[in-house]
Amino acid sequence: MGHRKELTRRDLLKNSAAAAGALAFAGPAAEWVYAQGSDTIRVGVIGCGGRGTGAANDCVASSSGVEIVAVADAFGDRLRGLKGKYNVPDNRCFVGLDGYKKLLELDDINLVILGTPPGFRPPQLKAAIDAGKNIFMEKPVATCPAGIKMVLEASAKASEKNLAIVCGTQRRHEPKYIETMKRIHDGAIGDIVSAQCYWNQGGLWVNRRQPGQSDVEWQVRNWLYFTWLSGDHIVEQHVHNIDVINWAFRDVQPEQVHGQGGRQWRTGPEYGDIFDHFGVEFFYPGDVRTISMCRQIDGSTGNVSERVVGTKGTSNCAGRIDGENAWRYEGPNPNPYVEEHKNLISSIRSGNPLNEGKRIAESTLCAIMGRESAYSRQQFKREWFMSRCALNHLPPDDMKLTDSKEVRPFAVPGVYKVPTA
Amino acid sequence: MASENKSGTITAAGAAIAASAASIAHAQGTGVIKVGLLGCGGRGNGALAQCLQADPGVVVIAVADLFENKVRSTRDRFVKDEKFKGRVQIDDDHMFWGFDCHEKLAKCEADLLLMATAPAFRGPQMLAAVNAGKHIFTEKPVATDPAGCRQVMEASRIANEKGLAIVAGTQRRHEFSRVELMKRIHDGAIGELAGGQCYWYGGGIWYRGYSDGMSELEWQCNNWYHFNWLSGDQICEQHIHNIDIINWCFDGPPAKFTAVGGRGWRDHNAQAKDVCAKLNNGSEEGWEKYAGDIWDHIFAELEYPNGARCLSFSGHSPGTGRNGEKIVGTKGTSNCSSSISGENSWRYEGPNVNGMLQEHVDLIKSIRAGEPLNEGQRIAESTLTAIGARMAAYTGRSFSWKWLLGASKLDIVPKELKPGPGVFHPVATGRDPLV
Repeated sequence: MGHRKELTRRDLLKNSAAAAGALAFAGPAAEWVYAQGSDTIRVGVIGCGGRGTGAANDCVASSSGVEIVAVADAFGDRLRGLKGKYNVPDNRCFVGLDGYKKLLELDDINLVILGTPPGFRPPQLKAAIDAGKNIFMEKPVATCPAGIKMVLEASAKASEKNLAIVCGTQRRHEPKYIETMKRIHDGAIGDIVSAQCYWNQGGLWVNRRQPGQSDVEWQVRNWLYFTWLSGDHIVEQHVHNIDVINWAFRDVQPEQVHGQGGRQWRTGPEYGDIFDHFGVEFFYPGDVRTISMCRQIDGSTGNVSERVVGTKGTSNCAGRIDGENAWRYEGPNPNPYVEEHKNLISSIRSGNPLNEGKRIAESTLCAIMGRESAYSRQQFKREWFMSRCALNHLPPDDMKLTDSKEVRPFAVPGVYKVPTA
Repeated sequence: MASENKSGTITAAGAAIAASAASIAHAQGTGVIKVGLLGCGGRGNGALAQCLQADPGVVVIAVADLFENKVRSTRDRFVKDEKFKGRVQIDDDHMFWGFDCHEKLAKCEADLLLMATAPAFRGPQMLAAVNAGKHIFTEKPVATDPAGCRQVMEASRIANEKGLAIVAGTQRRHEFSRVELMKRIHDGAIGELAGGQCYWYGGGIWYRGYSDGMSELEWQCNNWYHFNWLSGDQICEQHIHNIDIINWCFDGPPAKFTAVGGRGWRDHNAQAKDVCAKLNNGSEEGWEKYAGDIWDHIFAELEYPNGARCLSFSGHSPGTGRNGEKIVGTKGTSNCSSSISGENSWRYEGPNVNGMLQEHVDLIKSIRAGEPLNEGQRIAESTLTAIGARMAAYTGRSFSWKWLLGASKLDIVPKELKPGPGVFHPVATGRDPLV
């Protein structure tokens, strides 16, 4: 371990040199410790809930030489599963909202999985990049523009430091999507003139408030339902589909957004301040308008999919093109949740780390814009939103689980105003 | 939809309709056309004035409404109007009010009935009218549920058999620019239709309080917009104009419906409490139902038979207002109003008309020519399109046009209406049963 630690430090020094302006890594990548295929990827997991645990398991399954060596979670009961499964010693288990800081101090860790609620992602990503860690982070990556800016800065810094960032938008690592997008980008359906994406489903888990729980503890345990933590379900969940549409447009971002939404079925206090449905129109360059629809209402018709329409055909983005250049994907369908880790780790080992930070920040931003447009019933430009919106949901650095925090009243469309500076 | 194309052709041709056909029993040639008005609200008064302006041979002989005061004030207004001097010939015994006023009106000697009551009643009204041999001008929409739409389709069929005209107040269908544009779209100027959008998002609407002497149901009918069974909700009552344009582009209704929506902003609580107290001896208990049950936003996807998915975006609240349409094809796009962008760019440069007047001009010309326009089936289909989108939003369920038209049992308009208790339903939840 001491050996690795030393190498890690050495690399950090090199990273600093690179950051100082020299193209220090243009040379032989083999100097990079992680580029040596035999080196163990030592993983610290921050956020050990369902997704963090799933990501940890997928990471281990994806490649040889991966170990889970430290865990952190706001709650002791939540990290018990991974701790037991991977025999993580007590002194490498960190509980509390600041547990991640202690985990990041461990020099032997060279990959961190960020699986906490999205509201915590920006500061945690920033801290992890500052600590020189490679990153796997769950989507979305922020719940407000202030968080997006922080993620964009951390991603730029990761590039400077030659650190990897892969994000859990697993469709980007799914061969049937990748092959379809290649063809769409090569013109198989012509110019895109219309598109739709959906995440319509029933409800998800809910953690009702227990006696004795502080505001913050309850909200963090029930995080899906608070905008500051989850971003609302258009951000938390539907970002997957919005990201696919952005991908179809070659990650050229929409210029404007126009949305509506509300809270019609899911109205109890346990559902915090989020909506249960959104309908949003995104305006891509050339006035190409797309439909984004998401709903979480039990018993409603489900649909999780994407569709793009071009001048020469249509595609489901996932292995099928109809029209002039009809095509079906017939290749393998590996588990994309494992693929994303495989690609991450092989990129680290090859010395050419993937960095998906900017891209997922942009797709998250689209979803946040959709939410704010629906909340406020205002159509606005992306440029305006990024330059003028003063919304800041970032938790204070010293937030504690025992803190008081009022549940924000849910937005009344047309009454709520997007805060501006 | 053939009648629509015919409508377009006739409209575009302007004065081309020859006065040769003279075989129809009613109002043939250049003689007098006797008109009766059903529904004396703002739209009814407007439609009557436009009908009188459309043809000098029009005389109004009867007026009907749920409320006597509206009947009398409408007659007085038109009698005093110098523009229509001598053409307002409404005898005392040709003024009808009450819930059965449409039946009495259908029995009078009018040739043409103008229908502008709340949409809920249109089906029975139109059936009574065509059975009595009347031509019809009907305001949109023409129903609030699938059962009502089927009644209008039946009335339309009877009108065809009897050679009666039905023109609907979707005036965009009578604007020259749109007619010329749609010809081009149907001829392929923008290629195959690939998508589209339509919008009607505005501020709020009026809320009518209680007036002495009204029963609860009469108050409700006077404040009809706020109740789904009476108005069909905003998507049906108002946004149908834009939905009808998209249907026009595709020359028929969608094949599939998916929608979300809700009621988050509408707040008539103070007025509702006042109405409640006046109707219930000063008690405000249970006032909520008087605030109405319609939603304030619906976001619907209409999937047309060729697979194209179009957006319908409607509602009422402060915020960004939108009203209009856009259609997207493989070779270009159009604003659905006057221009095409793309391979076959084009801009309408002909004369512009007031569609709300032109629809009456076209109707009366068609009657005089003995070639009556019949837009009944088409307006029933567009009404059902809006109702389908509303039902998809209210229930959270997706379904097909085939199911909606053929199998939906939704029938929300009471059959026997008389002064008395109102008819109230809870606000839809977003997962109401699909009926």
